[in-house]
Amino acid sequence: MKGWKRIGLKDFEFPNILEYHKEYLQIPEDFPETVNLLKSNGGLGVENEHYFNEKALNGIGREFVSLVQEFSNSGISLYLPSKVKIHDPIRLEFAMDEKNPTVLDKNYIVAEAGSEATVIFDYSTDESIRAFHNGMLLVYAKENSTVNIIKVQRMNDKSSNFDTNYAFIEGNGKVNWISVELGSDISGVNYTSYLNEEASQSDLSSIYLGDGLRKMDLSYTMVHRGPRSISNIETRGVLMDKAKKVFRGNLDFKRGARHSTGVEEEYVILLDPTVKSHSIPALLSEEDDVQGEHAASAGQISENKLFYLMSRGLSQRDAKKLIIEASFRPIIEKIAYGDLRSIINGEIERRLINA
Amino acid sequence: MDRKKTYVKDVSRKVYDIKNKFDYRFKTDRGLTPDIIREISKEKNEPQWMTDFRLKSLEIYNNKPMPTWGVDLSDLDMDDIIAYIRPDADMKHSWDDVPDDIKNTFERLGIPQAERESLAGVGAQYDSEVVYHNIKKELVDQGVVYTDIETALVEYEDILKEYFMKLVPPTDHKFAALHGAVWSGGSFVYVPEGVNVDIPLQSYFRLNAPGAGQFEHTLIIVEKGARLHFIEGCSAPVYNVNNLHAGCVELFVKEDASLRYSTIENWSRNMYNLNTKRALVDKNGTIEWVSGSFGSKVSMLYPMSILQGEGARSEFTGITFASTGQHLDTGTKVVHAAPHTTSTVNSKSISKNGGYAFYRGLLKVAPGAYGCKSSVSCESLMLDNMSKSDTLPIIELNNDDIDIGHEAKIGRISDEAIFYLMSRGISEEEAKAMIVRGFVEPITKELPLEYAVELNNLINIELEGTIG
Repeated sequence: MKGWKRIGLKDFEFPNILEYHKEYLQIPEDFPETVNLLKSNGGLGVENEHYFNEKALNGIGREFVSLVQEFSNSGISLYLPSKVKIHDPIRLEFAMDEKNPTVLDKNYIVAEAGSEATVIFDYSTDESIRAFHNGMLLVYAKENSTVNIIKVQRMNDKSSNFDTNYAFIEGNGKVNWISVELGSDISGVNYTSYLNEEASQSDLSSIYLGDGLRKMDLSYTMVHRGPRSISNIETRGVLMDKAKKVFRGNLDFKRGARHSTGVEEEYVILLDPTVKSHSIPALLSEEDDVQGEHAASAGQISENKLFYLMSRGLSQRDAKKLIIEASFRPIIEKIAYGDLRSIINGEIERRLINA
Repeated sequence: MDRKKTYVKDVSRKVYDIKNKFDYRFKTDRGLTPDIIREISKEKNEPQWMTDFRLKSLEIYNNKPMPTWGVDLSDLDMDDIIAYIRPDADMKHSWDDVPDDIKNTFERLGIPQAERESLAGVGAQYDSEVVYHNIKKELVDQGVVYTDIETALVEYEDILKEYFMKLVPPTDHKFAALHGAVWSGGSFVYVPEGVNVDIPLQSYFRLNAPGAGQFEHTLIIVEKGARLHFIEGCSAPVYNVNNLHAGCVELFVKEDASLRYSTIENWSRNMYNLNTKRALVDKNGTIEWVSGSFGSKVSMLYPMSILQGEGARSEFTGITFASTGQHLDTGTKVVHAAPHTTSTVNSKSISKNGGYAFYRGLLKVAPGAYGCKSSVSCESLMLDNMSKSDTLPIIELNNDDIDIGHEAKIGRISDEAIFYLMSRGISEEEAKAMIVRGFVEPITKELPLEYAVELNNLINIELEGTIG
């Protein structure tokens, strides 16, 4: 498997794909009747091919993408008619357990002009099982539409997580990704936004926490095709124990994407001498009239900060925890839903207890 | 909204495109066989271990695949590249003895003046062998050795045996193996313990025969507490046949020693420049790279610093200028292999008229190398949208006690900056010229005067435009 050598994933053996029987979809109360939401995938009929050329999508790797395309066991198709705005989020909660250890969710979202919606995906597991998640999400956002996606991955340390996400964005459309990566033994995720028309916009905010023996390969790509398109990647991470992380951030300005702006940032706090942190921030440009920037920084918690907090009576552990939470906060604050925020904060706290 | 784009004139390369009638006594057949390697070695009266080394390298070369990443090498016909050509000149020690037409070319490139004025020694490589060599007497008295590598192989065989291609082994990549098999010419510098060479040493070489490859080897050893500034520059005339340059530079910087290695590579537009440069730095030693990449059709050049001693330091300052038909894939690699090592990378690139500038960097911190600091900054200036500019820095951190910062920026000359300067009464052309000069200044100011002048000539950019 090309591209996976950095986290040592050469021959990944796929487990048996079982059905996922549990209810995972939560529809908000104010859900408009005009919106087409199917609890199955591929339900948008022939229009699919018009929006997504699935064979051309490689995501985290052809093998993984084909698997979910052929054998998906869950997922949604969401069609938002023109100008329809859904205020409360649609939630997909996958709680994997012994009887439902595999989730292969295939999801489609098509947002017509001026529509707006938020979809939350939450992947969790029972403590003892070896779960497997391999998902795919395709978003097509038309003119002036806004699609917000929040993905929280907090599977246990024995499980595997793979996830492929694509957005295709028309003029003035906007797709916002929030990715929270807290769990699993091995995790490969890919987010790609195509900013295809004038003033297309995409934001990606992510946090990751690597503890134990976790291996993560996180790949974020923004392809600027339309003029005046705007992208922003902001990633905050913490690595401890023997965790290993590969961050790949790509800003790709194609010819014709004039006056576009792309910013990419990664800050990682390293807590143990045994961590491994690889960063590959690429900046590709075929257009001169653009502004592209990337910045990456890595280091320990500053001793001065730690000293200051400890001089105020905090224990070293609490001081460290506070600094880490402060680093994650700007991303977590972007999540408008209090219950989800407290789930995330609880999970982070649990994992930092030994830090 | 269509804006008027900045117009940048091509660099005048006339003086570099002068060719001499070529005249040689010895030329190997096209292509490479063990017999040719033996012939080359015999012609150079080399010891047996070197002949064996060449043959072993050839074997490695034949077994290694071509690199598949980076640049397109499909037009490069290795069999067509003649391994070894010696000019019709023997080793000379006085300028007067150098053959006239060779002297003529050098004079037009401005070498003798530079030598007369301030430089300690000139090792000018003409085709494959160094034709002219001179070093100031004071340095000789202090024990500094600056000679061509063929002479060094005779006079300092033990040192060569110990260091030659130990840092860049032939197994490194295909072109290192090729170099090991057919290397010819180059410089050898040895600075003994505690000696401070206060004037820069300079070597200037160029390619001349059609189809000739150039495989010069530079070996520099700076002993404990010594200091040296070495300058290497190259320029070649234009020919129709694809030319290959697969040189090798090995720099050994010992404890507390310091070496500054400056080069301007200015090859003709048909050259494949696949050069390998590497420095090994001991405790508290310093390596400084100043690197300018111009010319050539294709370049793959990533000077590498291995900081193996505690407190070792590296600094890289580089500029790449890619124009029509050029793909310059350059960058630097830094390996922090010991605690408390520091590195700074400052890379700038300009691309115009369809040129493709690629920054490819590696920053690696080993598991036990705690307390390391590194700062990497890459800036790319694109002068039009026919060109391409990519940045791909790889950062691999294998412990936590480090402080790493990386930044990269891409863009055109900002309208605000021009507007500001114009509001101060400066014309638009002058404002643009000032900004471009300012962009490359961190590089030019690191170079000695003659080189800075040459660089400025190379970046002889004229700007014209109207308010956008």
